[in-house]
Amino acid sequence: MDTAIKFIAFDQLNSALDRISEQLDVWVPVASKDQKRVIQFAPYRPGMTLVLDHQTTLGPKQVVLPQVEALFRFDYRKSADEPSRQKVQLEDPHPPAPTLIFGARPCDVKGFLVLDQVFSAGPFVDGIYAARREQTLFATMVCGQQDSACFCSSVGSGPTDRTGSDLWITPIAAGYVVEALSDRAHPVMAWLQEAATELHVAAAGKVQEEAARQQVGNLAVDQCQQHFLQRFADTNYWQEVAGQCLSCGICTFVCPTCYCFSITDEMKDKHGERIRSWDSCMFFTYTLEASGHNPRPSRLERYRNRVGHKFSYFPEKYQGLIACCGCGRCIRNCPVSIDIRKAVQNLQGQNHACS
Amino acid sequence: MTQSHDNPAHKQALTIVGFLCNWCSYGGADTAGVCRFKQPTDLRIIRVPCTGRMDPLFIARSLILGADGVLVSGCHPKDCHYAVGNLYARRRLEVLKRMLPFMGIDGDRFRYTWVSASEGQRWQQVVTEFSEQIRSLGPNPGVTGKSAAAATA
Amino acid sequence: MNSDLRSELHKKAEQAWPDLELLIGWQAGYDDLHTTPVFIRDSAEISKLIWNPWCTQNLAVYVAKHFAASSGKDDKKIGVCVKGCDSRSLIALLQENLVARERFYIIGMPCKGIVDLRKLHALSGAARILSVQVNAEQVALKSAAGVLHFPLDEVLMRKCRRCRYPNPLIHDVLVGDPLTPRTDAHEAYNDVAAIERLSLQERLAFWQGELDRCLRCYACRNACPLCVCQDRCIAETRDPKWLTQYMHLPEKFMFHFIHALHLAGRCTECGECERVCPMEIPVALIKEALNKITLELLDFEAGLDPQRVPPLLTFDAGETGI
Ligand code: SF4
Ligand code: SF4
Ligand code: SF4
Ligand code: SF4
Repeated sequence: MDTAIKFIAFDQLNSALDRISEQLDVWVPVASKDQKRVIQFAPYRPGMTLVLDHQTTLGPKQVVLPQVEALFRFDYRKSADEPSRQKVQLEDPHPPAPTLIFGARPCDVKGFLVLDQVFSAGPFVDGIYAARREQTLFATMVCGQQDSACFCSSVGSGPTDRTGSDLWITPIAAGYVVEALSDRAHPVMAWLQEAATELHVAAAGKVQEEAARQQVGNLAVDQCQQHFLQRFADTNYWQEVAGQCLSCGICTFVCPTCYCFSITDEMKDKHGERIRSWDSCMFFTYTLEASGHNPRPSRLERYRNRVGHKFSYFPEKYQGLIACCGCGRCIRNCPVSIDIRKAVQNLQGQNHACS
Repeated sequence: MTQSHDNPAHKQALTIVGFLCNWCSYGGADTAGVCRFKQPTDLRIIRVPCTGRMDPLFIARSLILGADGVLVSGCHPKDCHYAVGNLYARRRLEVLKRMLPFMGIDGDRFRYTWVSASEGQRWQQVVTEFSEQIRSLGPNPGVTGKSAAAATA
Repeated sequence: MNSDLRSELHKKAEQAWPDLELLIGWQAGYDDLHTTPVFIRDSAEISKLIWNPWCTQNLAVYVAKHFAASSGKDDKKIGVCVKGCDSRSLIALLQENLVARERFYIIGMPCKGIVDLRKLHALSGAARILSVQVNAEQVALKSAAGVLHFPLDEVLMRKCRRCRYPNPLIHDVLVGDPLTPRTDAHEAYNDVAAIERLSLQERLAFWQGELDRCLRCYACRNACPLCVCQDRCIAETRDPKWLTQYMHLPEKFMFHFIHALHLAGRCTECGECERVCPMEIPVALIKEALNKITLELLDFEAGLDPQRVPPLLTFDAGETGI
């Protein structure tokens, strides 16, 4: 077993990833536009330039919960013995391959800890998610780039939160120091060739200390469950926090912890797939019933649901776990700058002054 | 709808979608048939009540999915069965025709024209010309395939 | 410069208040670089209103979607603050009878340009911008790496750099003095022309590359003041079924054809669709290309004259050449 701490010099990063990607599918953050804009996780290919000093626009959620995935394929076939009948043949999707997510952040990983509760912790296990999750390793990097929308420390995480990660990366002046956090990490550690020196480890320690001192965000979430329920019917309150919402759904698409999906059959001729695709509770059609009735007809009820799900219903169901990793993506990307921190912070308190 | 055209020299079938209005051009095509005018066979006709019914998106969708050509034909302007349907249509169709190349789709793959029910000969000429034009452009690659996974470095 | 205009805005809002039941404007957002729309229903809150080069949202988006159907109590009106470009959206809504002029009290803001946050981030290269100072010609941007200076022009939104209508074309009151437009019609479509110079294959490759990132979150649609179907958009209906839930390129192209073609001859070039896109796809360019076409072909620009009918909603029996 290789337990030594490893080191990857900046100019060795690609060759290290080249080696790892011979063994595993590796996803890395890369820019899809010039100048480090629109950063997403993409399958690693030799020669790619990684962007490790910015939060990604979209987290790695899609690696385990893709925006679209086939649950199964189907095929209508004429039955030989009874020509008037059609038989449906089903085919399972392909099994997942071992995967490493390289360069995630603590908030990204925390997102998966939330999804796990729903999809794989039981009692109802989603086989497809669980299989992929099982095969996925995280090489997470300590975070030193908080901005004015981040609040991970407020929701039980933080820039040095190692929970859920398998490898831990600390950037220092010369490169990256890599430690194993779980047994699953050992094969990957073995593929890294250079051992960290004492100097590297000491430098990494300093970076850790500095990052650990950061208290990111000052949102108080204790008792938000109850406060939300008290606020539920206060229309003025929701008008105040989300009156300007456009129902655009960006917040849910960029969110690492939003997991609502839609299921549709997409067919051509006699063949098709049943697919699962990301849905958004900010959309009118999300709760639209067949009768035409919609229990959440306006953006206010929909935004209220987003807050309630993350800060009240979810913790109520899953031992107090808040379904938000504090990544700030919804705040940063909202076209009208709606701030979920404000929506949660002000839940507490009486008689809301309407404006 | 996409076909594999491995050998462009080979005169394989083209997929040309024709949207013809019920009152004039559909009749014109019928006249051409009754008169036994020889026509290329690549056109698949969809009858519409009026060119005013033509949503430019019908055409966009056909071309995006890989139809090799789209032909829209209706009554001559001022002869519309519904008086003004084709007067609305020609603006929309011309705007679409000019927009297609901006998105990288060849505007020559789309043509709109007017053929009355009595113009069998003209119909023959329109179809022959347009099929030739599409044949010379070759197969339409469409907007290819599945999206490449996320980003490129 | 802004504090003067801000107090002028407050003063004019106060004066108008007796006739208003609601005033839509901008207020400070979660940090200095972000503004958020505010709906004022109490005159005590007028002081929340701000006006600066960060007031990016086009407030006309709320006009048809949220308030068109509401009728005022005691003939009271809805006040709305508009920049030059935003005012065109209002006019376009009037052109289509989607809102009634009498229902609105329009506060016009002659606009020197709005800062493009993404450009700032790209220029700074840093994950976090600590502060930004804007004066008439210069922007000073402070990040952990130090202070950088840029000409204001360089960090303005694309739509602002090609702006022909900085002064609201419709208003009941103006805040500040009218300004000189930056470009004329001739230069306004330079970005479209740049794409037109590419070969057909290059253009297809360009759009395939850009649209590949599209999430089909539909934010571009929801942010558009003129996408008024909203909850009934054919991009989402299953019957008729225009789109599948797949994320293949043809679906993404198709969605953008839907959005763009439904805006042909209607788009007022407010740029909101492009600004809000989290994947930074230049989707407004598609509509600009259509606007260039409707200008050349039908001599029409949306949102200028409230009396004119958008060209694709009408016809001309006498026109030739098409
Ligand atoms: S991103 Fe903002 S405007 Fe869009 S749905 Fe979410 S809260 Fe509403
Ligand atoms: S709700 Fe917002 S801050 Fe919380 S995890 Fe989702 S995107 Fe991040
Ligand atoms: S906002 Fe951007 S990502 Fe969302 S649907 Fe529009 S173009 Fe696509
Ligand atoms: S299409 Fe885009 S630029 Fe045009 S009016 Fe709508 S949001 Fe504005």
